[in-house]
Amino acid sequence: MNVLGASGDTWGIPGPIFLRIWLAVAAAAVVVVLHRVRLLAGPREVGGEPLGPDQAAYLNGGAPLAINAALGGLRGSGAIGVGGSRRLKATGPLPAGATPLGQAIHHAAVRRARVRDLRQDHWVVTVLNQLREGLEQRGLLLSAEQQSAARRGALAMIVLILIGVVRAVVGLANGRATAYLILSLVALFLAFLYLGRVPNQTRAGRRVVRELRRQHAHLTPSASPSYSTYGATSAAMGVALFGTASLWALDPGFAEQAEIQRQAISDSGGWSSGSSGGSDGGGSSCGGGSSCGGGGGCGGGGGCGG
Amino acid sequence: MTGPTGVGIGWRPEIAGFVADLPGLRFVEVVAESLAPARALPAGLAQLRERGVTVVPHGVRLSLGGAEPVDPARVAHLAAVAELVDAPLVSEHIAFVRAGGMEAGHLLPLPRSRAAVDAVCANVARAQAELPVPIALEPIAALFDWPDDELDEAQFLTEILDRTGALLLLDVANVYANARNRGTDPRDLLDRLPLERIGYVHVAGGAEHAGFYHDTHTDPMPPAVLDLVGELCARRRPPALLLERDGDYPPAPALRAELDALAAAADFPVVT
Repeated sequence: MNVLGASGDTWGIPGPIFLRIWLAVAAAAVVVVLHRVRLLAGPREVGGEPLGPDQAAYLNGGAPLAINAALGGLRGSGAIGVGGSRRLKATGPLPAGATPLGQAIHHAAVRRARVRDLRQDHWVVTVLNQLREGLEQRGLLLSAEQQSAARRGALAMIVLILIGVVRAVVGLANGRATAYLILSLVALFLAFLYLGRVPNQTRAGRRVVRELRRQHAHLTPSASPSYSTYGATSAAMGVALFGTASLWALDPGFAEQAEIQRQAISDSGGWSSGSSGGSDGGGSSCGGGSSCGGGGGCGGGGGCGG
Repeated sequence: MTGPTGVGIGWRPEIAGFVADLPGLRFVEVVAESLAPARALPAGLAQLRERGVTVVPHGVRLSLGGAEPVDPARVAHLAAVAELVDAPLVSEHIAFVRAGGMEAGHLLPLPRSRAAVDAVCANVARAQAELPVPIALEPIAALFDWPDDELDEAQFLTEILDRTGALLLLDVANVYANARNRGTDPRDLLDRLPLERIGYVHVAGGAEHAGFYHDTHTDPMPPAVLDLVGELCARRRPPALLLERDGDYPPAPALRAELDALAAAADFPVVT
């Protein structure tokens, strides 16, 4: 072990030296990712106007949830319905307090769009982009650049893990001492599980969602909230914070005819930012936190969906 | 902890957000069986308690009018709920909900006999022995009278209240429904009840089906019920009025209008 390049060393590099180099690079990668995550935390204090249902929904579940929340608000005020071949229709004038997304969708309903077509509607797309940019500017959502920067750090960790695994396997096969390397691998893998998942929300964004859920706890579906009492804005906020289960509770006939997936959002978690304008299939595959939650099941360096 | 005062509303999870937004509210009622003393209060109720709003647990399953003794576990639950919300009093119905091991799932009226008075008084005494706070007893609405009634409603209630020392929870909508369905004048009962024993008053909406008035709690409060609240207050104003609404919740402005109408009828401060 004390002779450099001794014939028995894996790849001709002695174990202690490999381990030191490997650990140094791994530590550097962890520090870089930690630093990025810190940058991604978002502002400590979130200023500005409180979030309305449009923003809350986009923050909590991206474009699909924003559309569903706006549908809930419009349905709650009786402004839209579903007609033949599952096309939306306007059943009343645009409500006075309609959100920008509500206005865009009401306009699409007048033109008999289907719910699944809304993501291609020009006006709807414009409003969705404005929503995302506004949330990014307030430090609640990560921009695409910030996300890919964070993913590069996670990718470096994957490469290191792969090198370490190969080295450990080769070392084991040759009867070399690999205990420290394996321990280090486990540690780096755990760090990867913790850091490798790149969320859409910043920490500030998650905090805002938690706080909104607390403020609107009476809208949780288990309380069977009376939307006839609370009004249309609360219907939209209920969908925004607690998922389309709220829309199903509000009006199951409408939700079914409009082909809205039933989905309850229990805790905050990553959702997939379906590339805007791309195919999304009605709801993000990784949506809503529940399927994506836990520990990095959806991580894989590259996030999910996309 | 003060007793209930002013205009209140039945706290239900479905309208918790509406109730939380009533700035002048000082009193709510909660169905005792909907709370679990082992768990924390629902967030909405806990916030009301922090605001100093009085919470009165209202039991519906004790079956004080049953021929058998009240279930000690149910009394213990009501007592624990009273402690949990720091209640000044609790309330239950003069009715039975089970007999011979069968659950009726509904509040059933007692025959107004001396034997029934004895049974109710014995059960109320058993409950009072375990409860940390006074109990208010609520007569129920009934579509029929038993053939073996020995007492009229006023005699029956006065006798029970006198012997138990309990408070009266008078339901004005029930008084209206009973009188209307029997073709009598509801004001006669008001004239003969011990109004000074009232802890608080229930008011609710109802609707007419097939010639009978039903105390549904899911319909708007009819003007006649509101008039009867005025008649009651003209005789002796009760400490508090509580609006009961249990379903088909209307838009917030309509609920607020009912609360305002109650406040106006009793000259209480507006809670909305």
